[in-house]
Amino acid sequence: MQTEILQRPDFSMVRATFERAGEAIVATAGTMVSRDTSVQMKTGLTGGLLASAKRKLLGGESLFLNTFTASAPGETVYLAPAAEGDLAEFRVRSGESLFIHSGAFLAGETTVKLDTKWGGAKGFFGAGMFLLKAEGEGRVLVNAYGALHPVDVSGQGFICDNENIVAFTDGLQYDVRRIGGMKGLFFSGEGLVCHFRGRGRLWMQTRNPARFAAWVHPFRRVKAKAQGGD
Amino acid sequence: MQIDLQHRPSQAMAHVVLTPGESVTAESGAMVGMTPNVQVQTGSGGLLKGIKRMFGGESFFRNTFICSQGSEVGEVYLAATLPGDLVVLDVGASKYYLQNHAYVASTPGVDVDTRVGGFKTFLSGEGLFVLKTTGQGQVIAGAFGAIEEVRVRGEYIVDTGHLVAWEDSLQFRITKAADGWISSWLSGEGLVCHFTGNGTLWTQTRNPSEYGEEIGRRLPPRES
Repeated sequence: MQTEILQRPDFSMVRATFERAGEAIVATAGTMVSRDTSVQMKTGLTGGLLASAKRKLLGGESLFLNTFTASAPGETVYLAPAAEGDLAEFRVRSGESLFIHSGAFLAGETTVKLDTKWGGAKGFFGAGMFLLKAEGEGRVLVNAYGALHPVDVSGQGFICDNENIVAFTDGLQYDVRRIGGMKGLFFSGEGLVCHFRGRGRLWMQTRNPARFAAWVHPFRRVKAKAQGGD
Repeated sequence: MQIDLQHRPSQAMAHVVLTPGESVTAESGAMVGMTPNVQVQTGSGGLLKGIKRMFGGESFFRNTFICSQGSEVGEVYLAATLPGDLVVLDVGASKYYLQNHAYVASTPGVDVDTRVGGFKTFLSGEGLFVLKTTGQGQVIAGAFGAIEEVRVRGEYIVDTGHLVAWEDSLQFRITKAADGWISSWLSGEGLVCHFTGNGTLWTQTRNPSEYGEEIGRRLPPRES
């Protein structure tokens, strides 16, 4: 399979070109832009019902992942995320897994396993942020809201707003905390951040979806009060 | 302090490098990431200032990011909410007015004061408040969309929703877009800012309120 990221950086899209029959790519439900009619789409409970349910419950990721399978070489499928922004491709190898913010996973080769169960996830449960661990061998495609900004973490570490995390490499340890104490949590607007330590690479997105949602909210009309009792 | 703008123009983010003891103040929520030797202080810069900002539709608090003494250089990444460009304005010989939502960050020597931009705007709900910068340093302003720089010689008119910043050498007054209130309203332009004098102003190619209303009216009503 050949993958090419097109239309970077603002409205990126990926084109996967299959090289042989039976080759497949797994993508988050709703991300298909177009495909050849001969490419089979199977809405899958990848990894079985239980694994999918776990993914839904724990990872916040769409329960359904669609698998696109080629019937002949040269067939293509185009995939794009919901929001505007950049895409990146990563290669996962055994011993070099990648943590991906739920919502940032666009697609991956079938040889890549998505896991939500690993030690150390605890800190994120209370934080309303969930991560997928991509393991195995193969390519994964990750989407950002806005531009994708890599940070090489070493020495003193790095702090990133939870909502701006896209992905990070296995070598980083992390813990979720508040910045600026209690006053900071309620009034700073920064909410929860993730403190990374160790050596590795972190990718941030330049825009924050929660902040955008909070920006839109006041523009909603206010519900008219019910009249005459209930 | 070093400020460089990355990922321009659509997804601009400011990368601020602080030497020990240096600080930068930013709009609440603007921090994307930072090094751990940077301390965050949440404050209003004075109760009255905070209240005035709240009236202007901004947050009561702002965050100051301070690089710890005796450490390495600190780094802070700052970004606006909406997609668009950023501009760094040097405050000193030139002073600026900012449309209040354009404020992203400023260096400590710059005083940013909220002012009412003309009484008529007070009644309208659009572009009521402006920020005046004084002192010495830099201000980072954010735009929704691209930024267009306009040199004004004489007179010029800008829709208040498309304003980012302007030099204080320009006099300004907020007026109706057309002669009457009804035709003004029908024109969809609402209020405009009428400039006179010589100086530079910066406009944004998209109007945040127009965009917000476009989405907001399609969303289910909120409870309050």
